[in-house]
Amino acid sequence: MKRYVMTIDLRRCVGCQTCTAACKSANATPSGIQWRRVLDLETGEFPDVRRTFLPVACMHCGDPPCESVCPTKATTKRADGLVAIDYELCIGCANCVMACPYDARSIVHEQHFAYGESQMTSEAKRFDPGRIGVSMKCTFCKDRIDEAAATGRTPGVDPEVTPACVNSCISGAMGFGDINDPQSNVSQLLAQTQHFRMHEELGTEPGVYYIWNQS
Amino acid sequence: MAAVQSKSVKHVPTICYNCVSGPDFLSVKVEDGVATEIEPNFAAAEVHPAKGRACVKAYGLVQKTYNPNRIQQPMKRTNPKKGRNEDPGFVPISWEEALDTVAQKLSALRAKGLVDEAGLPRLAVSLGHGGTPSNYMGTFPAFLAAWGPVDYSFGSGQGVKCVHSEHLYGEFWHRGFTVASDTPNARYIIAVGANVDVTGGPCAVIRHADARVRGYKRVQVEPHLSVTGACSAEWVPIRPKTDPAFLFALINVLVCEHGLQKLDIPFLRDRTASPYLVAPDGLYLRDAESRKPLIWDEASGSAVAHDTAGARPAVAGSYRVARAVVADADKECREYTDVEGKTAYEMLAAHIAKYSPEWAAGICDVPADTIRRIANEYLENAGIGETIEIDGKTLALRPVAVTLGKSVNNGWGAYECCWARTVLAVLVGALENPGGLVGTTVRLNKSRDNRHLGVAPGEDGFMVQYFNPTTKEEWQTTPATRNLHQTLVPIVGHNGAWSQALGPTQLAWMFQGERPADWSMPMPTLPEVWIVYRSNPSISFWDTTHLAEVAARFPFMACVAYTVDETNYMADILLPEATDLESTQMIRMGGTKYMEQFWDYKGVVLRQKAVEPQGDARDFTWITTELARRSGVLEPYVKAINKGISGVASLKGKDYDFSLDPAGDLDPEHIWDAVCRAASLTFSEGKDEHGLDWFREHGFYAVPMSRLEWYLTPTMEKHGLRYELPYQERLLRTGRELGNRLHEKNMNWWDEQLSEYMALPEWHDVPARWVRNLEKSGAKIEDFPFWLLTSKSMQYHAGGNAGIEMMHEVALNLRGHAGVIMNAKTAAGLGIADGDRVEVRSHIGATYGKAALMQGVRPDTLVIIGQFDHWAQPFAKDLGIPSLNTIAPMTLDLTDATGSGADIVRVAVRKMEVAA
Amino acid sequence: MKKPVLGASTLAAPKPQKNWDWRAASNFIAGGAGGALLFFASIGGFEPAPTRMAILLALILIGCGLTCVWFEIGRPLRAMNVYRHIATSWMTREAFVALAVFATGGLAWLLLQPLLAWLAGAAGLAFLYSQARILAANKGIPAWRHPRSVPLMVATGLAEGAGFLSGVAFLSGATIGFWQAAVLLALIAIRALIWNGYLAGLTVEGAPESALRVLNGIASRLTLFGHVLPGFAVLAALAGMPGRGALMFAAGSMVVASGWFLKYTLVRRAAFTQGLAVVRIPVRGGGPAGPAVKPGWKPVPGAKAG
Repeated sequence: MKRYVMTIDLRRCVGCQTCTAACKSANATPSGIQWRRVLDLETGEFPDVRRTFLPVACMHCGDPPCESVCPTKATTKRADGLVAIDYELCIGCANCVMACPYDARSIVHEQHFAYGESQMTSEAKRFDPGRIGVSMKCTFCKDRIDEAAATGRTPGVDPEVTPACVNSCISGAMGFGDINDPQSNVSQLLAQTQHFRMHEELGTEPGVYYIWNQS
Repeated sequence: MAAVQSKSVKHVPTICYNCVSGPDFLSVKVEDGVATEIEPNFAAAEVHPAKGRACVKAYGLVQKTYNPNRIQQPMKRTNPKKGRNEDPGFVPISWEEALDTVAQKLSALRAKGLVDEAGLPRLAVSLGHGGTPSNYMGTFPAFLAAWGPVDYSFGSGQGVKCVHSEHLYGEFWHRGFTVASDTPNARYIIAVGANVDVTGGPCAVIRHADARVRGYKRVQVEPHLSVTGACSAEWVPIRPKTDPAFLFALINVLVCEHGLQKLDIPFLRDRTASPYLVAPDGLYLRDAESRKPLIWDEASGSAVAHDTAGARPAVAGSYRVARAVVADADKECREYTDVEGKTAYEMLAAHIAKYSPEWAAGICDVPADTIRRIANEYLENAGIGETIEIDGKTLALRPVAVTLGKSVNNGWGAYECCWARTVLAVLVGALENPGGLVGTTVRLNKSRDNRHLGVAPGEDGFMVQYFNPTTKEEWQTTPATRNLHQTLVPIVGHNGAWSQALGPTQLAWMFQGERPADWSMPMPTLPEVWIVYRSNPSISFWDTTHLAEVAARFPFMACVAYTVDETNYMADILLPEATDLESTQMIRMGGTKYMEQFWDYKGVVLRQKAVEPQGDARDFTWITTELARRSGVLEPYVKAINKGISGVASLKGKDYDFSLDPAGDLDPEHIWDAVCRAASLTFSEGKDEHGLDWFREHGFYAVPMSRLEWYLTPTMEKHGLRYELPYQERLLRTGRELGNRLHEKNMNWWDEQLSEYMALPEWHDVPARWVRNLEKSGAKIEDFPFWLLTSKSMQYHAGGNAGIEMMHEVALNLRGHAGVIMNAKTAAGLGIADGDRVEVRSHIGATYGKAALMQGVRPDTLVIIGQFDHWAQPFAKDLGIPSLNTIAPMTLDLTDATGSGADIVRVAVRKMEVAA
Repeated sequence: MKKPVLGASTLAAPKPQKNWDWRAASNFIAGGAGGALLFFASIGGFEPAPTRMAILLALILIGCGLTCVWFEIGRPLRAMNVYRHIATSWMTREAFVALAVFATGGLAWLLLQPLLAWLAGAAGLAFLYSQARILAANKGIPAWRHPRSVPLMVATGLAEGAGFLSGVAFLSGATIGFWQAAVLLALIAIRALIWNGYLAGLTVEGAPESALRVLNGIASRLTLFGHVLPGFAVLAALAGMPGRGALMFAAGSMVVASGWFLKYTLVRRAAFTQGLAVVRIPVRGGGPAGPAVKPGWKPVPGAKAG
């Protein structure tokens, strides 16, 4: 069985927010809503200071707390590892928002436009009323993953079936693929590097691996 | 997901080139004629070092297209009064009226004469940040070429906001208008303020990321912990503007502690002027007959001309020369007999001996041990003696470089920094060799597409140079431009397309107000017509409040406008252009270009109309053609296009002719179709001819390029030339000659700048210049205890996309963006908490924003990212983001000999009483 | 249109949850007390009138809480979808239990049939427990997910239910017996113990500093007004001080008010998110790696660079 995961090489990330912007572009998220972003962490005291850029989004957990609390089964864990939301079922109770330890989910009760009241042509073209009042998050660009399943292409290798953020990353920090396939690009990379998963102690089995050094 | 079911979806290949680190490939998703998404263009993955990916700015282009604040039809001003407090009263007019109004003004200029009574062009043109508008302005360069004298003096940042000294000295020493590390081969980089992970675009970002994973070490020397500093192995928080002292100390460790034997002797001996003998008066000892500089030939034990066959030049040492001459300024020749000549290297060694790490430590606030360790690591990693094979040729591999950032490499102290880092490269043989320090393009020499063609033998065994003349006969006594570039700045030259734009831009603005008391040249006039394209100097310059007041006095101003902004607020006519995704243009790509744009391919790429222009915006090529037609320069304009001035290649070649006829079809599509065909035939050497339709589908055409083209040293070797380093005899002479000319005209106001013409630069307390300037204005240094600096942001290219909402949204994820970065401990001492509204005040004004407290900034330094403080541009004016530009003075005192200044000013900071 | 500025320094740190406002808090506040009141009404042994009053009050409390939630959810018209995930979702289970509460509670109110009352009481208890588990299932909120939050929510709910019952008894003129007073006293003591245990556990096992600050900030007030004063009042009542009903009413009121204060604090003010963290600062080229960074939490003991 496949399990799609993402690898993020923190050695490479420069915090440029290209993935943040590419995600907004690909998913038409409303102004102010970011399904992913790159955090800018500072530690230490002058002059011994470190600054770390940390891309964060839905971790597509192996044991997603959002899924178990969801009263409607709108949130599901798919067989391929993606955690998905059915906007038609979701009642917007926000229980999943509370359950997620990664600040990955948000609910928009009213649409916000980039330039105030007026909706730009591009916004109007893509406005989806079905996403108002329901829980939203990074989908791992699931339409693309579905297309991969239908066409036999490989996510993380073929750009058409790879998440937009991974495609966009100018530092080459992000990888995507099936961790259950030992030959996949992500399995190979993880075998050669030292990495961690965020808040692993919470038992969520996150599907995003952060690389911090070579093995 | 779309509410409206899409009928048609297409993916249109195009580019973004809004900053100098492009072009970035991208693909626009167009649904039913509406641009909806920006994606990478993976079809370009092989040819593009960044694998077909675009930087974050490109993702703002959809909003840029549909921004409701756009000017969508031509406008004219109805309020004759101009000023920040005067509503321009713009009202819509037809294209006919707009074009005729501008053309009438232009025709009137032609009738009166292109140059006015002061000898200055009546037409001035300002083009925006870093020359990047040329990637958008279609055939406008052909219009400018057709016009005749045009004054680019008012600029928009060139000279003040670029890496100015690096451009001038880099091009002088090694044809490096921009200078970069050869990152793909690098092992050790000392980045002195170079914020390349922000400014270098996707090519630099991926290369440095690869290098980090590979294990290279980058040491960031900078007063605050920038993004690039964050991604480096080590951060050295140096005191602002003391970088020359730090770099001098590195040279000291190499030369005085390690000594010549540890350095790259063959390189110094054969490729530099190190062996040239210097007379006690500081000039090269020359052969009495041939006037060639002398070297000491160890083989014959005598002084011989530098190019004597079979000679073995001594790099170090001091030698008695029986007879020689020196050539001083104004061809003054002096003879010497039995004179002691020291090699240029020896001069360097003696000169640098006083600049020990211990000396620098006190100035830079960097421990001597740290400086010494960095110098040692640099030398160790240089791997002197190592080689690398590239395309069958064996070259020296010297994987170390010192890169410089803005405000390190412009303004006072920049000459010293540029010199020191280039000397550091030559000492280990890393200049223009694999892994080392490379220039990436030329703009002050020709050909702009191949810097190797700019290498030809000149004087004294060096490359040919095209300095602006300083001899009595040829010196330009009456400036032909308002920035006096040919009069005051010999090194900026007159050979390249950009020479004028690289002049002391701020002088053009300053001298419209006050001029020095001993000014003896014609009084500078205002240009009768000022055309502004993609430029907002009222935000991007210094002392912007004052600048806007000057701009309000210009008699006629036509601005190609995207939205209302702080500069076009004073315009008479606004011309709405089709923007990035709405218009067509072909440009060159690849080869070697700015920053880290050295590719394995070269070719052409099309920026194409992915969607129809909004409102009545028009393609700038159409606008240009109409202006040419209506102002009577159509014929020379078309001729210039045919010559290839706007479009990559000449439209007539050996085996093809796509020349346009002034009486024929000059529709933009027809023009670009001809350019596409000429370009593809040129790059394929006659094999492939592709028209506009082919390029619309495929996006680009590329041919492979050898990496040997990245490095200049093999070309220098081929010509038997030496780099004009480490000793600067030419500059010394040039400065003396320029001084003579100015003093003959009784002008002493440029004397301070003349002091920069040194054969070996001395430390001269660079930061003190800002202190003196402050005190001169009557202020007290203790009232302005902080340095204010600025830093660039990847989300913003200068101020150009400040009105794009998404850029603001994503930029806020980064610390310090939109605020005043200050050291947390310093802030605590002043009672300032994170997010408090603060006033940052210099002796000329104040700017306001929220405090962003960080540990990663020196306690004596504040930083404001980007160029903001907008007051007219919709959206941007509501952001309340402060700007250094508002409070940095524009003054002769802070202008260096190349005519540049730096983004730094002394300030005070205090918490505002009322919370925002 | 002013855009916010300077969020970057706080993005990774734990933030107050913003999705469950006073409406959701009301459900926990009123619903939990209502569920426990229903339980105590069923076993309280009061006369029919006060029992009826107590059952009605319990149903009103639960009903109000649920109504508030209904007004909060993003898609109220789809509310029935809440019944789709009984396998793991405590919110689904709460919704089912709510049906049982109103069915049995309504009938018990009408008929005062003991079996129905007991069933209603059991449903009330289940409702209270479901609510406690809803909070605890939220891994994103460290102050909620702590295992001791379940007993805390149950204990305060029970104490509040008992407190309400004292109030009902006083207002309806019913006699409050020894056992009723003793139960309230015991519940006050149990709540005090569990609260202290919860706070100690949370401190030891770790939580966002901001959450700990809020919870520690209410500790003394909660102890005084929620435990000490009502405890003395009940003791006084048990000791035979005149005005037993009034004393019990006062004690009950304080227990309810302090419980609601505790729950409001827990659901709204101390509900900081987990925040985001790195386990290791990456190696950048030749430089060293760095220790863990967990903004908003106490530094990880023993962390060092290298």
